[in-house]
Amino acid sequence: MKNSYIKFIALGSVVVFTLTFSCKRLLNQEPVGSLGATVLANKAGLDGLLIGAYHMLSGFSQTNNDGATIWSAGPDNWSYGGVGSDDAYTGSSLTDQPPFIQIENHTMDENNVYLNEKWVAEYNGIQRANDVIREVPLIKDGSVSAAYGAEAIAEARFLRGVFHMEVAKIFRNVPYVDENITYGAGNYDVPNPGPIWDKIEADFSAAMGATKGAALPLTQQQIGRANYYAAEAMLAQAYMFDHKYSLALPLLTDLLTNGETSGGAKYAFEPYEDNFNAAHNNGPESVFAVQMTVNDGSNGSNGNPGMTLDYPGGGLAGCCGFYQPSISLANAFQVDANGLPMFEPSVANPGVGSFLYNDHQLPSDHGYAIDGSGNYRLDVAGTFSGTPFVPPSTALDPRIDWTLGRYGIPFLDWGLCGGEQWSRGDVCPYNPKKNVFYASVHAGVTDNVLGWAGPLDNANNYNMVRLSQIYLWRAECEVESGDLATAQTDVNTVRNRMASHHEYWVHTYIDNSNPSAGSNTGDANLAANYKIGLYGAVAGTDFVTLGQSMAREAVHIEEQLETGMEGKRFFDLQRWDPIYGGSEPSGYMAGVENFHIKATIIGRFSTTGKPADAAPDLNGHTFTAGKNEVYPIPQGQINVEAGKLKQNTGY
Amino acid sequence: MFKSLLLKGRTLCVLILCTLSSLVVTAQTRITGKVIGSDDKQPIIGATVKIKGTNVGAVTDVNGDFTLSGKPGYVLVISYIGYQAKEVTVDGPSLGTITLEVSNRALNEVVVTGYTSQLKKDISGSVAVVDVNDAKKINATTAEQLLQGQAAGVTVINSGAPGAPSTVFIRGVAGFGNTTPLYVVDGVQVGDMSQVNPQDIESISVLKDAGTAAIYGVAGGNGVVIVTTKKGKANTSTISYNGFYGVQEPLSGNVWHLITPAEQSTLTFRAGDVVGEKLYPGGPGTLPTYGYQGVGGGSFGSSGVTNDPAVVALYKFDAGNPANDFLVQKFNQAGTDWFHEVFKAAPTEQHTVTASGGNDKSIYLFSLNYVNQKGTLLNDYEKRYQVRVNTSTSALNNHIRVGENGFVAYEENNGGYNGTQQNESGALAYTYRELPIIPVYDVSGINFGGGYDGPTGEPLGNGTNPYMMQAQQSTNNAHFVRVEGNIFAEADIAKHFTVRTSIGGLLYNQYYWNIGYNPYSNYETHTNANGNSENEQMSTNYNWTNTIVYKQSFGKHNVQALGGYEQKDNHGREFHAFNSDLFSLDPNFVELGQGVITATPYSVIYQPIAVESFFGKVDYNYDGKYILSGTVRRDAVSVFAPGHQVGVFPSATIGWRISQEDFLKSVTWINDLKLRASYGELGSYGDVSGGNAYSQYNFGFGSSYYGINGTNAIQQGFFNSQIGNPNVTWETAKMSNIGLDATLFNHLEFTAEWFNKKVTGFLFSQGLPATTGGAVAPIVNEGDVKNTGFDISATYHGRVNNDFTFSIGANITTYKNTILAESNSTNYFDTSPTHGSSDNIVRDEVGHPMSSFFGYQVVGIYQNAAQLASLPGYAGAAVGSFIYKDTNGDKQITSADKTFIGNANPNFTYGVNLNAAYKRFDFTMVLYGSQGNKDYNYTKYWTDFYYTFTGGKSQALYNNAAIVSGTGASAVVTNPSATLPSATYQQSLGSNAVSSYYVENGSFLKCRVAQLGYTFDPGMLKRIGVNKLHVYVQATNLFTITKYDGLDPEMQVSLSNETGTKASSAYGVDYGAYPNNQKQYIFGVDFTF
Repeated sequence: MKNSYIKFIALGSVVVFTLTFSCKRLLNQEPVGSLGATVLANKAGLDGLLIGAYHMLSGFSQTNNDGATIWSAGPDNWSYGGVGSDDAYTGSSLTDQPPFIQIENHTMDENNVYLNEKWVAEYNGIQRANDVIREVPLIKDGSVSAAYGAEAIAEARFLRGVFHMEVAKIFRNVPYVDENITYGAGNYDVPNPGPIWDKIEADFSAAMGATKGAALPLTQQQIGRANYYAAEAMLAQAYMFDHKYSLALPLLTDLLTNGETSGGAKYAFEPYEDNFNAAHNNGPESVFAVQMTVNDGSNGSNGNPGMTLDYPGGGLAGCCGFYQPSISLANAFQVDANGLPMFEPSVANPGVGSFLYNDHQLPSDHGYAIDGSGNYRLDVAGTFSGTPFVPPSTALDPRIDWTLGRYGIPFLDWGLCGGEQWSRGDVCPYNPKKNVFYASVHAGVTDNVLGWAGPLDNANNYNMVRLSQIYLWRAECEVESGDLATAQTDVNTVRNRMASHHEYWVHTYIDNSNPSAGSNTGDANLAANYKIGLYGAVAGTDFVTLGQSMAREAVHIEEQLETGMEGKRFFDLQRWDPIYGGSEPSGYMAGVENFHIKATIIGRFSTTGKPADAAPDLNGHTFTAGKNEVYPIPQGQINVEAGKLKQNTGY
Repeated sequence: MFKSLLLKGRTLCVLILCTLSSLVVTAQTRITGKVIGSDDKQPIIGATVKIKGTNVGAVTDVNGDFTLSGKPGYVLVISYIGYQAKEVTVDGPSLGTITLEVSNRALNEVVVTGYTSQLKKDISGSVAVVDVNDAKKINATTAEQLLQGQAAGVTVINSGAPGAPSTVFIRGVAGFGNTTPLYVVDGVQVGDMSQVNPQDIESISVLKDAGTAAIYGVAGGNGVVIVTTKKGKANTSTISYNGFYGVQEPLSGNVWHLITPAEQSTLTFRAGDVVGEKLYPGGPGTLPTYGYQGVGGGSFGSSGVTNDPAVVALYKFDAGNPANDFLVQKFNQAGTDWFHEVFKAAPTEQHTVTASGGNDKSIYLFSLNYVNQKGTLLNDYEKRYQVRVNTSTSALNNHIRVGENGFVAYEENNGGYNGTQQNESGALAYTYRELPIIPVYDVSGINFGGGYDGPTGEPLGNGTNPYMMQAQQSTNNAHFVRVEGNIFAEADIAKHFTVRTSIGGLLYNQYYWNIGYNPYSNYETHTNANGNSENEQMSTNYNWTNTIVYKQSFGKHNVQALGGYEQKDNHGREFHAFNSDLFSLDPNFVELGQGVITATPYSVIYQPIAVESFFGKVDYNYDGKYILSGTVRRDAVSVFAPGHQVGVFPSATIGWRISQEDFLKSVTWINDLKLRASYGELGSYGDVSGGNAYSQYNFGFGSSYYGINGTNAIQQGFFNSQIGNPNVTWETAKMSNIGLDATLFNHLEFTAEWFNKKVTGFLFSQGLPATTGGAVAPIVNEGDVKNTGFDISATYHGRVNNDFTFSIGANITTYKNTILAESNSTNYFDTSPTHGSSDNIVRDEVGHPMSSFFGYQVVGIYQNAAQLASLPGYAGAAVGSFIYKDTNGDKQITSADKTFIGNANPNFTYGVNLNAAYKRFDFTMVLYGSQGNKDYNYTKYWTDFYYTFTGGKSQALYNNAAIVSGTGASAVVTNPSATLPSATYQQSLGSNAVSSYYVENGSFLKCRVAQLGYTFDPGMLKRIGVNKLHVYVQATNLFTITKYDGLDPEMQVSLSNETGTKASSAYGVDYGAYPNNQKQYIFGVDFTF
């Protein structure tokens, strides 16, 4: 017995020792299904990290730390730049997506969940760019040359500048996060003492390099990458936000003289609508575009998911009726006898930021419905009256019918637009158009994925900067420097694309019942009464005669008309308002916004006799000067940054 | 448990041998007797009958009979688990029938604790022993349900969904992350016990304090539930059946208190809802007959409502291309009762056949179990087939024992998981979110009604027809196969030493497929494609345990020591694939290849988690009077970085059986009195996965790929997916426990315990600012939380006469939860988001209990413009909206005025068990209650405020909302008693911010079960070959007493509203949970051959 006892102990000891050693391995469990940082320390890893940073231009990642909703953080800023301004309404039904409604009617507060998601998405991109910068010095295997590493860093700094500019536009006072900010260093509670334009400018300057081509190349083999000129344009844009016109001007001039796309095409105008058509992505007007792709294995995640909701509620898409162009935007396309915009102050409601175009309501099908005979007639309290609606003969800037969908006007190749019947909620007569796909290529440019609203991701690139903006920014600089004649030339250059090319205008369908058969041609077959003139063509309309102040308005409305429904309007108004150094009179942005609200609150009568507005959620709300020019810093970020982040004034 | 049975088996064998030998030596008389139980008057099989002071004895046979040699004057000691041992003096050759009194908490009861078993009287830690016999009367279909109301300090929250696992907390919630206790089934550590057939369970012990649970070290921090399954008994052979059939009734009445369609029509106009008014062209209170939308509507146009039946003829449904549809529905004028369209009476049946027995070397138990439980929610079901085989055999004179315990289970359900209902887009939520005017079916009688068939602009809301949702569940299937159990070998290697090795674990496979239909009846998704998804998961885990036990007595010193080594490891993978655009959704046709693969299939590798442990325990008692024990466990866990993997968890207990002292021995009314205390440390690694320590990078089409070439051929990119934190380690629970056990007056058993559990460094995902980037934050040691409380239980066994006995048991649990520290600098953490806002319901703040609701305090309604102007206001405040309390007195209402408005923690919970037996009848009732907890009834966001998505609205909104007349300065509320903001189309903060309006008293008392049974006369049964026959009728959830306005005040752990993730950091929020208070009526039979 004694013997066996010892044997057992001996045996047991062996077992225990064996286990102890074997279990070193047992306990050393490397992470699965992912890559360690060392795996990436080579050229392939560096390239992948940079692509991963580019990915965040879409504002969306399927990882779970950057917000659950996909439509809050798109690069187009349809909500923050469009719905928050006089460009567009939220749309849909009035109980749908309350955070967007709050942005529309300026009641958003620090708990607005989508503002937080946008913030989170941009900083996600910033840190992905920083990952590239941090990875370069870790690569020791010789696969990355010093020049290659420097170019990767230049692209990363470009992207970091872009992401920072996105949050700076929306929130103004934001933390600047460079590659030294890491979890490991514990320095991530970054404060926001004020604007960071200087740091953004430094990133773009670094991306451009000391001399042309020293950092970012002039052309790129892969067209989605930023080139030197993209960085130059972004730097110019940062200067515009920073109100440093004299620094922006030479950059803009260089761009207009020498600029070319990443693909090597000299900047040039193309048909206006090609900027909004996936078939013409990366055209010669595309200074820097976010590449949108579909049917790429991503289940729609790369097809501008930020715009998923922004298709007409009726017609081919069937969902979801958000981002409805506003009545004031439509009104702005009205032209005077000279084919020029009506940007002089309103007569009916004079004041800062009030414009004459809103005194002239563009007739629309607001309040119309199909009667028992299938006619589209005015519907008051279920009683139909008047004659069936026909599109108005008002003279209009031809860009209107590429910017918004109106009743009875060809809607791409979908057929005649259903107007208010297509707008979900049935209270707004206009539908989004620039971001919408063509029916003929529906399957090719949209993602056919499962789930709610899946088929509504499409391959239309979003141009963060396009050529017209370069001209118009330069015109702004010239107006501010007093060079009004050159400013007029730049504005006219933009207008002339349409003015001298009637073939770019919307024409009637050959067969309304078969829109795929194409459109008629010739001025006899225009879809509406289009008219666009050049400044100075008629005496008294030239900038010098108009004077600096009116010339400024002419440039500003040109930007409104040219880039309507591109998510830029709010930021332009903010830039022009004097609160942060803009040149418009005090209270300008609030004036524009509140006049827009007033212009919206008109219209038909419901069954109870109460007015039904094109955007009822605007009723009773105002834009507060000194507060609403920027959005509130997300409270969750303030909370978690331990008091380092400060809220914006008024929130 | 195993070992204890085996040891017992060994003893029995010795006894039998001795008995035989004694027959040879002395001429003694043959003494016979029969042993029955006082509870069911049935023979006790396998009871030990021993001549006092000797090792001579016998064991009762299947009829409860025993025979041994003895002579008058001998005292026989008769004992059996679960009964009080009884001494009988031999007064003749036949002792007749000896009745053993039931002893639920008999002192000599063997209690299975960690790796060993102990006599109840020798335990000085805190162990709640569940009276399985009592608990089983509830007829649970999942084993966790046996715990509810049966053990003080154990909170069990069941879901009403069939087969859904329950949430179990031991001594309250003490952490934001994983607070699930450790389950140990037959010595194998497993994730849950829900798959164990309740009928197979022999015993359940809950280790509540560190003194007992520290033996499980890093796995024991949330408490330990130890389950042993039944074994065969030597020299017997029985076959038993038990089964029941029952019907569960859905809750009755207008459960959401919704208004009728006509009232809704009136309300729409009152609110000035211009879009909604399009549904009622006849004006307030009227309803249209038909709603339609689509193409080919002729003079009806493309959408709208009409009373003209001619529209029906235009109906067209094109499954292949929904864009061609022209759908028409006839509105339900009386209103569709969506709740009762989808909640129907549901049958449940369960059958178990158990065969067990053995000889003196081998024992076996074989059971077959079939469960078929339908949920009251349409098409919810759970079917389970299970085979259990427990066997063991011995050799070398019983010095070596080998065996196995295990089951194979096959389970089937509709793939819906429990969580889907506690969510705004669950079918349950749609029973109030879908307008009652919408019919179940459209005019085709086959296709479903919904929000599409009506005017554009969505006046019918964006909800989903819940009947459709559930009807379409019928083609969703999930299949699970589980093999779970262990094999073991045990040897007595020397005198007083026993070694044992056991390897056990779980093999798990799950396959499920879901068919997604074209949601043609929904407004938003009318044209979406159909599709199919196929998903598989497999996982394995093993648990290898080696122990050595030393047991010896030296005079009055009794020592038992245990040493052990253990290894655990798990692995698993998942696979998911999808397709769409199938031309038929016939489930016999649907395969992946039959549609277009549009989404990328993907797989997931589970992070392996390995644990390696050494542990030891010493139990010592002196004369059964002074008890000491000490435990230490050293765990190394792979989920932490090297250097942070190893934890040592010690504990010590002390006990004093005062009743054994001479000065108390004379006090006859004190049968037993024990004072005990323990202190120790436990751990938990929560939800930490092995990647937590490492910074990780990953890639994904939708996460990091980019069309850098300007084409759809996207290029691969990488992103930082996880932030690593190598400094994270286990959370530590320091627990003190002081307890008193008493048995008094021969009838009353009483236990009271005070505990203090302080968890330091509990593990939770670190709240990081966006400036750290998009990578997942690491789980860190987030903070400290403390639970202090009492568990008290008492049972009184009464006996009126031979015909009537009864027992009353009661237990009460109270704890006070306080968050002591959080590592984040704000000292709070918000969770439970509201719809479309980052405004959260729950704030877990230092100094407050967990799951405290945080919002505005409603103090009234602005009655007029003057009041609106004079009282503190907020953006959107208007006459007729809520007045909130200006808690900081700054004359304005901002988020700084939010305050704590209640929390989900009860003051106490309690259980009452009543048992009575009269002649052959037996009666059982179990009551369970909770007092002082608050529920946040978030369902009211949808029903009590007009400005939320169009859907069913409540009577409260219709009757109690402010009615405002006049505008501007003349605005005045005409019904000053209004309790809700005016129904308005204009959103304002007042309508639906997180506020005290939603907070309700969640106290309740439920009659969990009431059962009446009858046991047939065994004499009569013998003739038909049956030993025992017991029949019963039972009602479950016979009544619920509560003031709560929602479905069920007993709230499941909240799911984050939109993500569906379960979070212990928030409970008590009602997002529309599957009720667990539905009445069920059961008829059941138990019989034994």
